[in-house]
Amino acid sequence: MDEYHNGNEGSFNSEEADNIVKECIENVVGGEDYSQSQVNKWTASIVERCLTQLVKQGKPYKFIVTCAVMQKTGAGLHTANSCYWDTSMDGSSTVRWENRTMYCVVSVFAVAIA
Amino acid sequence: MDEYQTEEETAFIVEDVSKIIKESVEAAIGGSTYQHSRVNQWTTSVVEQCLSQLSKLGKPFKYIVTCIIMQKNGAGLQTASACFWDNSTDGSCAVRWENKSMYCIVSVFGLAI
Repeated sequence: MDEYHNGNEGSFNSEEADNIVKECIENVVGGEDYSQSQVNKWTASIVERCLTQLVKQGKPYKFIVTCAVMQKTGAGLHTANSCYWDTSMDGSSTVRWENRTMYCVVSVFAVAIA
Repeated sequence: MDEYQTEEETAFIVEDVSKIIKESVEAAIGGSTYQHSRVNQWTTSVVEQCLSQLSKLGKPFKYIVTCIIMQKNGAGLQTASACFWDNSTDGSCAVRWENKSMYCIVSVFGLAI
């Protein structure tokens, strides 16, 4: 029986996730200015797109994608995450993006299905 | 072999989690004013406290806790999250807290093992 197990398949590839997320952000808000009326749509769109792309990878994972978009006015913003899981199989990735008028922080959490 | 486990012991109970979050936030920053030099410490403290209380519940769950603290100065902030999981066993809970100088948003996601 061939039990060859590629180390990469058993854990979360955060680089790949990073690329997927950056692409999704660019597609949704790249080149836009912060707009109160549109921001709702943008965050929903970003998380949905990221999730769809991640699931397409076909790996045995549950995913959680969170996105925060903040207008640039000089306010301070701090975020923190803490996870209680299986460190060998599960993983996360956070992407910070900005343009002239807003910040966008997207986090992806991948939890392996036993 | 006794494998009896009540549904209560294995379900994600939003009310309990919500209480834990509120308590953790109050304990960490209740009554404090936004201070750039301390915010880092606060966010860490909130998530760590939430996580330790959650794991004390002893349920078969993996947890993810996120915390956002934002200074009140008129900026707009929008957050969203999407989850690909098992609807029947997994759950989430988000709590928004504020005082005169800052907002604090904490989300907890619980995934059944």
